[in-house]
Amino acid sequence: MAQQANVGELLSMLDSPTLGVRDDVTAAFKENLSSDRGPMLVNTLVDYYLETNSQPVLHILTTLQEPHDKHLLDKINEYVGKAATRLSILSLLGHVIRLQPSWKHKLSQAPLLPSLLKCLKMDTDVVVLTTGVLVLITMLPMIPQSGKQHLLDFFDIFGRLSSWCLKKPGHVAEVYLVHLHASVYALFHRLYGMYPCNFVSFLRSHYSMKENLETFEEVVKPMMEHVRIHPELVTGSKDHELDPRRWKRLETHDVVIECAKISLDPTEASYEDGYSVSHQISARFLHRSADVTASPYVDTQNSYGCATSTPSSTSRLTLLNTPGQLPQTLSSPSTRLITEPPQATLWSPSMVCGMTTPPTSPGNVPPDLSHPYSKVFGTTAGGKGTPLGTPATSPPPAPLCHADDYVHISLPQAAATPLRKEERTDSARPCLHRQHHLPNDRGLEEPLGSKGSVTLSDLPGFLGDLASEEDSIEKDKEEAAISKELSEITTAEAEPVVPRGGFDSPFYRDSLPGSQRKTHSAASSAQGASMNPEPLHSSLDKLGPDTPKQAFTPIDLPCGSADESPVGGRERQTSLETNILTPSPCKIPPQRGVGFGSGQPPPYDHLFEVALPKTAYHFVSKKTEELLKKAKGNTEEDFLPSTSPMEVLDRLIQQGADAHSKELNKLSLPSKSVDWTHFGGSPPSDEIRTLRDQLLLLHNQLLYERFKRQQHALRNRRLLRKVIKAAALEEHNAAMKDQLKLQEKDIQMWKVSLQKEQARYSQLQEQRDTVVTQLHSQIRQLQHDREEFYNQSQELQTKLEDCRNMIAELRIELKKANNKVCHTELQLSQVSQKLSNSESVQQQMEFLNRQLLVLGEVNELYLEQLQNKHSDTTKEVEMMKAAYRKELEKNRSHVLQQNQRLDTSQKRILELESHLAKKDHLLLEQKKYLEDVKLQARGQLHAAESRYEAQKRITQVFELEILDLYGRLEKDGLLKKLEEEKTEAAEAAEERLDCCDDGCSDSVVGHNEEASGHNSETKTPRPGSTRGSSGSRGGGGSSSSSELSTPEKPPNQRAGPFSSRWETAMGESSGSIPTTVGSLPSSKSFLGMKARELFRNKSESQCDEDGVTISSLSETLKTELGKDSGVEAKTPLNLDGPHPVPPTADSVGQLRIMDYNETHHEHS
Amino acid sequence: MTEDSQRNFRSVYYEKVGFRGVEEKKSLEILLKDDHLGILPPHHESHAKVMRYRKDQYSDVLHALKVIRFVSDATPQVEVYLRMYQLESGKLPRSPSFPLEPEDEVFLAIAKAMEEMVEDCVDCYWIIRCFVNQLNTKYRDFLPQLPKAFEQYLNLEDSRLLSHLKTCSAVSKLPYDLWFKRCFAGCLPESSLQRVWDKIVSGSCKILVFVAVEILLTFKIKVMALNSAEKITNFLENIPQDSSDAIVSKAIDLWHKHCGTPVHSA
Repeated sequence: MAQQANVGELLSMLDSPTLGVRDDVTAAFKENLSSDRGPMLVNTLVDYYLETNSQPVLHILTTLQEPHDKHLLDKINEYVGKAATRLSILSLLGHVIRLQPSWKHKLSQAPLLPSLLKCLKMDTDVVVLTTGVLVLITMLPMIPQSGKQHLLDFFDIFGRLSSWCLKKPGHVAEVYLVHLHASVYALFHRLYGMYPCNFVSFLRSHYSMKENLETFEEVVKPMMEHVRIHPELVTGSKDHELDPRRWKRLETHDVVIECAKISLDPTEASYEDGYSVSHQISARFLHRSADVTASPYVDTQNSYGCATSTPSSTSRLTLLNTPGQLPQTLSSPSTRLITEPPQATLWSPSMVCGMTTPPTSPGNVPPDLSHPYSKVFGTTAGGKGTPLGTPATSPPPAPLCHADDYVHISLPQAAATPLRKEERTDSARPCLHRQHHLPNDRGLEEPLGSKGSVTLSDLPGFLGDLASEEDSIEKDKEEAAISKELSEITTAEAEPVVPRGGFDSPFYRDSLPGSQRKTHSAASSAQGASMNPEPLHSSLDKLGPDTPKQAFTPIDLPCGSADESPVGGRERQTSLETNILTPSPCKIPPQRGVGFGSGQPPPYDHLFEVALPKTAYHFVSKKTEELLKKAKGNTEEDFLPSTSPMEVLDRLIQQGADAHSKELNKLSLPSKSVDWTHFGGSPPSDEIRTLRDQLLLLHNQLLYERFKRQQHALRNRRLLRKVIKAAALEEHNAAMKDQLKLQEKDIQMWKVSLQKEQARYSQLQEQRDTVVTQLHSQIRQLQHDREEFYNQSQELQTKLEDCRNMIAELRIELKKANNKVCHTELQLSQVSQKLSNSESVQQQMEFLNRQLLVLGEVNELYLEQLQNKHSDTTKEVEMMKAAYRKELEKNRSHVLQQNQRLDTSQKRILELESHLAKKDHLLLEQKKYLEDVKLQARGQLHAAESRYEAQKRITQVFELEILDLYGRLEKDGLLKKLEEEKTEAAEAAEERLDCCDDGCSDSVVGHNEEASGHNSETKTPRPGSTRGSSGSRGGGGSSSSSELSTPEKPPNQRAGPFSSRWETAMGESSGSIPTTVGSLPSSKSFLGMKARELFRNKSESQCDEDGVTISSLSETLKTELGKDSGVEAKTPLNLDGPHPVPPTADSVGQLRIMDYNETHHEHS
Repeated sequence: MTEDSQRNFRSVYYEKVGFRGVEEKKSLEILLKDDHLGILPPHHESHAKVMRYRKDQYSDVLHALKVIRFVSDATPQVEVYLRMYQLESGKLPRSPSFPLEPEDEVFLAIAKAMEEMVEDCVDCYWIIRCFVNQLNTKYRDFLPQLPKAFEQYLNLEDSRLLSHLKTCSAVSKLPYDLWFKRCFAGCLPESSLQRVWDKIVSGSCKILVFVAVEILLTFKIKVMALNSAEKITNFLENIPQDSSDAIVSKAIDLWHKHCGTPVHSA
């Protein structure tokens, strides 16, 4: 808050003469602004500025940052509404806008814009209008999209102001109108450039009205002469123009250049153009030769610029930049402003470019770099004391051995020199603008250095020319001679100029290349090189083909010097003339310098420098010069309609300046005020005001032009970047080409090797073919052999087959033979047998013969005896002999007969034997069969037996069953009988009671029964009748008891006692005991039959005894029953009981009791 | 009984007899019906006749039993066989409700097993009858010696097991009745049992010993785990049936191993 109170003090301190205080206060304000977001401080500042027009405050306001823009705009808006402050606030706005603050896009939305437009539509003050229009024109490229809303306003303003130019409402001074006209002209350009379709349609509609026709004829039509047809008129549309997308791609400077492109006015037009791209080189040259505006100086300068921007040279610079030099060059821009001019030359755009240029291949760097460098250095240093001070300040010279290259390096300096003037002026001026323009300066100078890039677009064409020129060396020489001559001339002419104009003279620029060339030529001659004396061409010739990177470097050099050499001399002269005669602002300083007698430029002088781009300046100068020349010869009026308002303005300024100086000279008074007062009358306030306004207007115009220049600078920077890129690409292409060459070489090599390989391959193939054929023939031969062998083997096989067959046959034969042998052996054996037989017969025969012999001897003996005794017995002997013979024969036949009989008997024996064997066999078979049958029968028999056994068992079971059943029946019958007997026998009454009591007492009953049976045996001899009764009776009586008892008896147990009982009973029965009634029917039962079997010889009484046994059996059963039923205890009692009771009974009863005991024993 | 190859003796036997299949039940029936049990004579001509006799006998006995109301239609077939056998051997009790003798129980077990093997009831009865007869006559002297032989072979095969049994004093309590009197009837499934009984019918009752040994070897781990004689006996009486085939196969192998050739007059 305290600060707020001190704002006034601080503001006043801002304008203090002490720089330190001012800086401090500025910093304090800025700090405050950055911390405070309120509108207070801004408002105060604006007020203060309007009050004092203080430059520091302006500086603060123009650099306001984002949050304060609104306050500032609001404040400006507020003051725009007030007529009193309008002019100053508009100029403030102009200052702010021209710096293109970061918030410039907000302008289109700010309320300021409509109010500005309104002011332009309403206001009648020409100064205000002109200022406002210039602000608007400045603003338009920044907010191109705002055209959508305010387009009609723009057009209205244009219409109003254009009519103003003609109608001059009120008492508007003619002088003002010139300014107004110029701004309207600029507005026309801007509107036409930005919105051609809309603008044309507006023009059409607006000037179709009759009242406006005059304005059109007088004002607008001449303007239209300075524009070409906008291509948008053909391709675009009204809507497309207003499309924000169209503007989105374009920056402010793009828009400005776009507008400049369509201008035909040399003061406005841009020659960096998309339109002239289509132009052929010849056309361009034609244009140049026809139009003097294309001065060689421009070209040379451009070419120098080009050289500086050339990557090759710059790269060389960077390559040779020692580390020590680097910081120096880098720091140069900052030091430049403070130090004296020579030092400022240290910095050059080429250096900056070089720093930013990508390094290239170091292949061109020779080993002996230092030598030529020092040489050149020395020569240049001692040769001429050029203001350049090249050796000391210039970047290190070319790395190449040739001194010619030095020229190339020094050329940038030549190009850079014009800048020094600017820089000097800039530095000399401690203006606020300069301070914040400082960063821009570098960028501003860069494009200047790279100005040649504009012409670079024509490079292809130049390259072609170059190539053609390179072919002709003679031509080169000729050209070299000419250029040398020219250089001498120029240097000669330049020398006097240098002291006069100093660095700020445009002429000085021209002299620089010349002097450079001279130094160079001196260097080259000192070196004694057999090179072309012309440095440019030699360098071109040498370097052009060698390094493709440099191929386009000196492009414009030949263009400038060679192509235009024919007109070179004239051009030089004209240029001289131009430089002297031109009414351009550049020319003014020397004139003014002469006029004022001091080096101090007027305060707006630098504005001209800044406002007009060099090209524009050159064109302006050339144009005006030409115009002046023409004006000298002819009448200026003829060309008036074609002169642009700018030129008119220029001329006005020039004349004004002339008049002013003349006036001053005439007066030769120390001061104007004195002057005026001296004349007695008060100075015409009107005049003063007019002049002041004019000054203001001029200032505005100037500021506008400067803005344009900035846009151009921006543009140039952009283009430079493109150039660098293009160069890099070029270099890359070259590298690629090298690679391509290498690869082609490789390919060649490969091709050669391929051919070799192919040859070798074909050779190998041939070899292989021969081998194959050889092998084929071998194969064929081998096959043939094989076939032969096969045939042979076939033959052999058939032979083998034959042999086998033969062998088989032989075997068969062998078999047959064997058979035969066997057969014969058999026969032999038979024969031998026969032989033996016959031998035996022979033996017999022998024996018989011997007998015969013996008998014969005996016979002889007897005969002898006989003869001896009976000599007459011969007859008898004969008879006997005969008888003997007969007997012998008879014996023989007998023997034979015997033999035959033997044979037959033997045969018979054999037969019989065989018969016997057969019989034996038969017998065996029979036996076997018999055995079989026996077995079979046995098996059957076994089966049958088993069956029989089974049957037997079955029968036994049946018998058992039947017996059982009988037993039951009999028991029943006995019970019945007992009952009957009870009725008869009274003595057994108590026992019957027992019997009735329970079945256990049966045994007792049985005893009684038995006893009674004994008694009744005698009286009942007929068993048959009783049996039936007992059977019938037994069925009903005690069947229940018997039924109960039977199943419990084990049969095997029963069997034993049964038989024993039976036997014992039999034993008893032998005692002729009478049987009971019930015993009789049992004789006819199955068991009875069995008994009969056993005792066949028994009588009928015995049969009765059987019955007794049976009854006794039943009794035993009963006893057993009693015993089994667990009443055994009682039974012995009962048994014991009866024993003493029937002592009256016979011994048989006792025996029976004994039997009982026996049975008991058996059981137990 | 003369083949000495390692093959299943039946296969050789079947080939000899004229049967190809080993597993066919019919052939087994005929085999069992055949020679060894004496049901049919070796002469084929008398087969029909003898078979008729057998059938007649069967029907007669059955009829008799029915007549004396010992059996009825509701009586289980096994009991019918028992009664018939009892009748034929003269041991028929007086009443069907009399308690059964131990030998009757053996008969019933065998009959039950055989009933599963043979379909025809006449054949079945005769096979049972002859089988039991064979056991009671031919092997009467051998059967009591089998426990001793069992101990001996078990000692050879696995002495540890035997010692374990001895320490448990289970040796005397092993189910010898089940093994040697019933010939594992009710202990092994019929399919496995057939192979054992084949051997028995063919004349070797020693196979029973090896089956018993093999059972013990097979369930060695379980038997070893059991400590009391009752438990062991209980377990052995109810051995799991699933491994019976393997047991029998191993037992036959064992039998071949220890008795060398199957020619073995038991």
